Amino acid sequence: MPQKAKDTKRRRSATQAAVAWRRFKRNKSALIGLAIVGAFILLGAFGPLFAAYPPRSTASLFLGQAHEAPSWAHPFGTEPTGVDVFSDSIWGTRNDLYVGLVATLIATVLGVAIGAVAGYARSSIGAVILAIIQVFFVIPVLLLILLFARLFLLQVVAGYGLTMIVLILGLFGWSGIAFVVRGEIFRVKELEFVQAEKALGASNFRILFRHIVPNILTPVIVLATLAIAGNIITEVVISFLGFGDPNTATWGLIINDGFRYVSVYWWVSFFPGLMTVILVLGFNLLGDGLSDALNPRLRE
Amino acid sequence: MAGLISYVIRRILFMIPVILGITALVFFVTAAAGNPVDIVRGGLLHPNNATINYLISFYHLDQPVYLRFGYYVWNLMHFNLGVSLQTHVPVATSIGRWTWTTFYLQLSSLALSLAIGIPVGVYSAKHQYTKRDYTITSIAIFGYSMPTFWLGIMLIIVFAFYLKVLPFGGASAGALAQWWGGPIQDQIAHLILPMVTLAYVEMATFVRLIRGNMLEVLRQDYVLAAQASGLSDFKVTYKHALKNAITPIITLVGLTIASALGGAPATETVFTWPGLGYYFTQAALALDITVVEGLTVVITVMVLIANVMLDLLYGVVDPRVRVT
Repeated sequence: MPQKAKDTKRRRSATQAAVAWRRFKRNKSALIGLAIVGAFILLGAFGPLFAAYPPRSTASLFLGQAHEAPSWAHPFGTEPTGVDVFSDSIWGTRNDLYVGLVATLIATVLGVAIGAVAGYARSSIGAVILAIIQVFFVIPVLLLILLFARLFLLQVVAGYGLTMIVLILGLFGWSGIAFVVRGEIFRVKELEFVQAEKALGASNFRILFRHIVPNILTPVIVLATLAIAGNIITEVVISFLGFGDPNTATWGLIINDGFRYVSVYWWVSFFPGLMTVILVLGFNLLGDGLSDALNPRLRE
Repeated sequence: MAGLISYVIRRILFMIPVILGITALVFFVTAAAGNPVDIVRGGLLHPNNATINYLISFYHLDQPVYLRFGYYVWNLMHFNLGVSLQTHVPVATSIGRWTWTTFYLQLSSLALSLAIGIPVGVYSAKHQYTKRDYTITSIAIFGYSMPTFWLGIMLIIVFAFYLKVLPFGGASAGALAQWWGGPIQDQIAHLILPMVTLAYVEMATFVRLIRGNMLEVLRQDYVLAAQASGLSDFKVTYKHALKNAITPIITLVGLTIASALGGAPATETVFTWPGLGYYFTQAALALDITVVEGLTVVITVMVLIANVMLDLLYGVVDPRVRVT
């Protein structure tokens, strides 16, 4: 009898999260993704320990070390203006992670809220919201982001350029998540536990956000992880094209610097781009791994 | 057939409020960013009085904002998108030219990526969990983790500056010495690098999707039945299985076309490819407001039309999807 009780207890202790983690651990590429993302977060957080120069510092120019190829003193080389590519890439890690994470957070919150209302509201309201979601899904978002970044960066107080980019990315990036959330709500909203809540007299708001939304967060987590990768690439594109804040060190800005002298000084564009590829790869592997680990259909 | 026609008409009617909405979004956000005259004055351009006066008359800046929007939509309906503040060429004329250059770059890279991506994806699925499969999936995941334009820069460094076998930018040599001796060969030489750049990243997504779908389809009973009835392996894979795995590709191709019409601003800038994306970037940086607004609205309309056409194509490829 005590043996049996122990067994049930042990079995119950395998929560959903624990099962997912067990599956995740066995997936080698997912672990690589997690390691990459973790390493970059540490690099971003403790960057100042590694970066020998302040962001956008042209100090090397006065030491006669401008446009130098990679060496021990300058692992990624220097720009013709004297900027140390290694230091700026580390400051860029911090800034690009900030953009990727916060913009995705904004987009996810918006996407979940709008998608949930679209799926749960009366059909006429739902149809109107669906139409809005579809519009944001098909329009050429990148062009609007560039346009608004250009128009509003003129107005923003110096130093808040990056936050401006974050807001624009967040406000334009929610439609994919909203689509999926709406579909999931349709699946869940006729289930028994929702009817039970209704019978108990819970308000629509409470049913939707206390009981339904927590049940559909799994696909949202996966999508958000992949969206971080997408937002980082978009940020690199924005600052590469010169629509970002020219005084903030971001990977795109360094690539842009290097592109002007690309026929001679290849390293300036090469290294920050390589860091982008590795970080984005990390988030993509992590997202794929989460998707496999959290997929109930694949459960053993 | 009658159902199809009414469907098309309904979709077109649905497009009107959407286009109005997008136009309003672009117009009012631009208006909120400030008076166009101030924006142009504060930007890079050093405008003369003629430019300022043109801006005032084109946007009717002496009128209240809702009337200005009315005027703008009225002009739009008459294909009057204004005149570029920099080159003084009518925007509508320029857009026609740029669309063509973007179009043939994007179409050729899409064709290349599908031609390589579909067979490679099928091959990868057929050989799941082998070394070849891992190699293909690794190459693919690098592809969609890469900023496209950065790949372009790397290819330029290697092929244009180091090996010196291909031009580094532009769509043709123009008055300069032509590549490979001849105007058509010259255009092909200029097309190769940007086409390969775009195609690699698109191919990566196609390989991934085809592989995933094929893995599901190959496990289904009807494939087993086809094999049991003695059909050749090639026929089972490419005729019977692929047919069911390929439908989601259309959605992806549609999304690719939609973003392609935006003209991949960064990749076109890297290759100074004279298309929509490159000129949009240039105009936005120079605060050439008429060009930027015109391009945004026109591209959005083109994307919406492409989406309707795509939904119709769905019905042709997959008879289970009926438009009603």
